[in-house]
Amino acid sequence: MDELIIAGRKFKSRLLVGTGKFASSRVMAEAIEKSGTEIVTVALRRVDIQNENDDMLAAIDRDKYLLLPNTSGARNADEAVRLSRLARAATGINWVKLEVTPDPYYLLPDPVETLKAAEILVKEGFVVLPYINADPILAKKLEDAGTATVMPLASPIGSNQGLKTRAAIEIIIEQANVPVVVDAGLGLPSHAAEAMEIGADAVLVNTAIATAQNCAEMAFAFKLAVEAGRIAYLAGAAEASQKASASSPLTGFLRE
Amino acid sequence: MERLKVNGVEKEFSVEQFPATVAELLKCLNIEAATVVAEIDGKIIEREKFDTTALSKGQAIELVRFVPGG
Amino acid sequence: METAVRHPDIKKILTERGLDGCGRDIWTKRLEEIKPSEVEWALSRKPGYYVLDRLLLLVSPAAENCLEQMAQIAHHLTLQRFGKTIRLYAPLYLSNFCVNDCVYCGFNKSHQFPRIRLTIEQALADAEIIAAEGFRDLLLVSGEDKNFITVDYLVTLAEKLREKFSSISVEIYPMQTNEYAKLFKAGIEGVTLYQETYDRNVYAYYHPQGPKADYDCRLNTLDRAASADMREIGIGALLGLSDWRLEALAIGEHAQYLMRRYWKSRVSFSFPRLCPARDVDEKQFSLISDKNLVQMILALRLCFADAGMVLSTRERAELRDRLVELGITRMSAGSKTSPGGYSGKSGAVGQFEVDDNRSPAQIAEMIKSKGLEPVWKDWDKAFTDL
Repeated sequence: MDELIIAGRKFKSRLLVGTGKFASSRVMAEAIEKSGTEIVTVALRRVDIQNENDDMLAAIDRDKYLLLPNTSGARNADEAVRLSRLARAATGINWVKLEVTPDPYYLLPDPVETLKAAEILVKEGFVVLPYINADPILAKKLEDAGTATVMPLASPIGSNQGLKTRAAIEIIIEQANVPVVVDAGLGLPSHAAEAMEIGADAVLVNTAIATAQNCAEMAFAFKLAVEAGRIAYLAGAAEASQKASASSPLTGFLRE
Repeated sequence: MERLKVNGVEKEFSVEQFPATVAELLKCLNIEAATVVAEIDGKIIEREKFDTTALSKGQAIELVRFVPGG
Repeated sequence: METAVRHPDIKKILTERGLDGCGRDIWTKRLEEIKPSEVEWALSRKPGYYVLDRLLLLVSPAAENCLEQMAQIAHHLTLQRFGKTIRLYAPLYLSNFCVNDCVYCGFNKSHQFPRIRLTIEQALADAEIIAAEGFRDLLLVSGEDKNFITVDYLVTLAEKLREKFSSISVEIYPMQTNEYAKLFKAGIEGVTLYQETYDRNVYAYYHPQGPKADYDCRLNTLDRAASADMREIGIGALLGLSDWRLEALAIGEHAQYLMRRYWKSRVSFSFPRLCPARDVDEKQFSLISDKNLVQMILALRLCFADAGMVLSTRERAELRDRLVELGITRMSAGSKTSPGGYSGKSGAVGQFEVDDNRSPAQIAEMIKSKGLEPVWKDWDKAFTDL
């Protein structure tokens, strides 16, 4: 399978995995392992100073996986920028998944604040992976601003509805000069395969794996689905043909 | 009694117990320094500087760490 | 630390794909080896889907038997995206002076004939006549005559023309970004520039000297125009200079590059086909047939659902009538390709011979007879002029 290249860095896996919602760090670690992923997302939160939590992330081998901090919790550009700077201070990694979600119900991303934050962060030298609704114009504007990818949602976070935004994502893929990572709402391996079949460069999956009965096995299923989808895409999968009602012959004159 | 705001919560210390540096504050709160990022009054403090960054009364401190997330 | 994201460069793209002449033999061989069963894959893709491989299959000799099928798809796709309309425009030639020596062109500097440049007033006189025919879409054309047809000349002309014409574009010598910006401010919104041929060797042969000899400068011209916010950018190759199938592939890559990078501009294709011009020796060229022309138009339409496709009056009437239903979205009518031609200046030499001499009114009738509506004015600047 061909390599995924983001900001000049190469990856073999086209499946990114989120670390949220797992029941325990052991289950999380197993699932990440079986997924074959090379990039896992993490969030930043205030330390709970009343209780000392166990550090779930101690279970993640930082040499094996690229930790991609997200700015979840940020409700505007300023908060997202602040979280990004904190994340960079913590690890020295300048990659950030930009997530600005002021709406607490559907966790839909704010396009205006996302663009604003992206422009600031790119100037500060961050490798920015912005999470957005499937808005082709916004995707081009973020690309113009210098983001390393665009990450359009398939359907709202955690909804497991699959590629509800398929038509718009197809346009984004057609128009993009940067890798397109479909993120959020992929509930089944077949959804992930579908995203890859239409030409997405990668997908990000969290809820579907973390809330499965057997997380490690589900992670493995997603791994296979992403590979299958990519191979199918490269092999030139045929599509359902669109039959147009034929009009009278248009090229007969060439034979005259 | 001297005050510090830590993660939005007011904490009171006696003068002798007041943590002199960020590292001391973390020790006092039983927080592992290795995975934490600190901000004092909005300014990020690098981990290497935890031992040497002094605290003064009335400051607002944010202690943030990586947690699981999507 | 990873490097910042960089835009690809069209020169690099063409070289890497071997489409600037270096891979000529490989592509030619590949085209010949394509089987009809492979063309099926290309036809079954979603209309408007472009990858180089798809275009390759559609312009291949093997696809020549599929033209009717391609035509049906192209026809319906164009209807869907553009509606039942054809835009009409008129070219206004400003000067047939030229400093270049292009082997194929009537305005070649070695050719002896009375050269004419229009003053602003004379240009406006021609424009009046064009407007009286109903046109609101004007294309300003000129030989490479930088000393007379200056940026200031064009700015002055455009500012006067914009009262009458809602769409003004130019097909003139390559300019710098800041010059295009001035034109844009004056009311010019489109730039057309043909690479003539994307094959560097062929290009060097046909453009031996003068500013036009610089292939690279020409290739980047539309980047500069689009960077100056020009809304319409027109590309194409002069069909007959080199292998039309290879030109089509280069055009496809150029189009995709422009569309992805300058996403706020619309790319259009034109299909200038070599035909007789005064003092030009026909035997030097690889002229293409009607069938080839049709295949090229259809192949590009199938791959680019929203690109404009422009037809000039170089083609004969009967052919133009057919092409109107095969994906064309814009055509000229009643064109005079010599400066002052509309005002009846006699003796002036045209850049090429016009083969369709019907009046604009007649062309409009023909379009209506096809169930389509001729559109004279497509863009009303009243809404954006402050």
